[in-house]
Amino acid sequence: MHISEGILSVPVLVAGASLTATAVGYSLKKMEYKEVPKVAILSSAFFVASLIHVPLGPSSVHLILNGIIGVLLGWTAFPAILVALTFQAILFQFGGLTTLGVNTFNMAFPAIICFYLFRKGIRSGNNLIAFSLAFACGFLAVMLSGIMVAIALIFTGEPFIQVAKLVLIAHLPVMIIEGLLTVFCITFLRKVKPEILDTR
Amino acid sequence: MKNKLYFTLIILFLIIIVINMSTFAHKVNIFAYVEGDRIYTESYFNDGKKCIDSKIEVFDNQGNKLLEGLTNQEGVFSFEIPQKDGELKIVLNASMGHRAEYTITADELKDTVGVIKEGLEEPISSERKDESSFKVSPTEIIGGIGYIIGIFGIIAYFLSRKK
Repeated sequence: MHISEGILSVPVLVAGASLTATAVGYSLKKMEYKEVPKVAILSSAFFVASLIHVPLGPSSVHLILNGIIGVLLGWTAFPAILVALTFQAILFQFGGLTTLGVNTFNMAFPAIICFYLFRKGIRSGNNLIAFSLAFACGFLAVMLSGIMVAIALIFTGEPFIQVAKLVLIAHLPVMIIEGLLTVFCITFLRKVKPEILDTR
Repeated sequence: MKNKLYFTLIILFLIIIVINMSTFAHKVNIFAYVEGDRIYTESYFNDGKKCIDSKIEVFDNQGNKLLEGLTNQEGVFSFEIPQKDGELKIVLNASMGHRAEYTITADELKDTVGVIKEGLEEPISSERKDESSFKVSPTEIIGGIGYIIGIFGIIAYFLSRKK
């Protein structure tokens, strides 16, 4: 999911960086003081989750958690993911500093989409509806991130069919695992601390 | 109550990390060595999984592409030394944005050219072990979490002044 340095063309890098900068600026302006601890914790969770490797499928893939981060944080998912990716790039050489903008956008934009799609649904009184929507949230977030990566690579000139096939096949196991993980987290939070799901 | 939940979450994630310590993955590595008049390259992900059917490109020191090829089932790609003067840059492109480079120096090329070495397996594999010690250490993980909390501490400070 992390695109390394030296792959993308300059226009793609610039576009990613400026989109991310705008979104981060907007969400920092919107962020409230009492939200900061939640953002920090989920940022750390994202930082750590990318180290958990899913040993299935043809390529090397890992957890992303952007579905749950999006639904819990809303717009503040952007700074959370940007900070976590920066330290992944510095400490583990995942991705790179020049691709930071593109990578952040690839993972945080699906998080925002999931936030708007599912924030009401996962608080539904009907458990079955809430759980299936939580699964859809985790699943969709990874799929959208995969599609974003594919778009970034296609704009740089990789053949479409090959990239699209890879993205779908390689991330299918992760999509399912993330879906289940999201159900697990949401179930837990609904029982223990339902007010945390009330993100603006 | 709120803080308690956050701490539980942190501890949970740390436990998951410790359990998964041996399976860290994600970065790709490439390692190349000269044997006889061929150059062998081995490509693998951080967890040791081989990169199969990944594209390898070889450049000279001026950045001209000399040749390209795909790795086999073992993650190995080998080719004849295309030129002996100047270093060679070998670039691995393992799809979905994974990329790594390895440079073979001119000295390395000259030393071995023309000398056929049989039974060189042992020293090569031990050298490869060094190369694969890219694993993430727990210190870095905990340090990284510390940095992240610190950055949000600074953000919290500025947000508190805004009011």
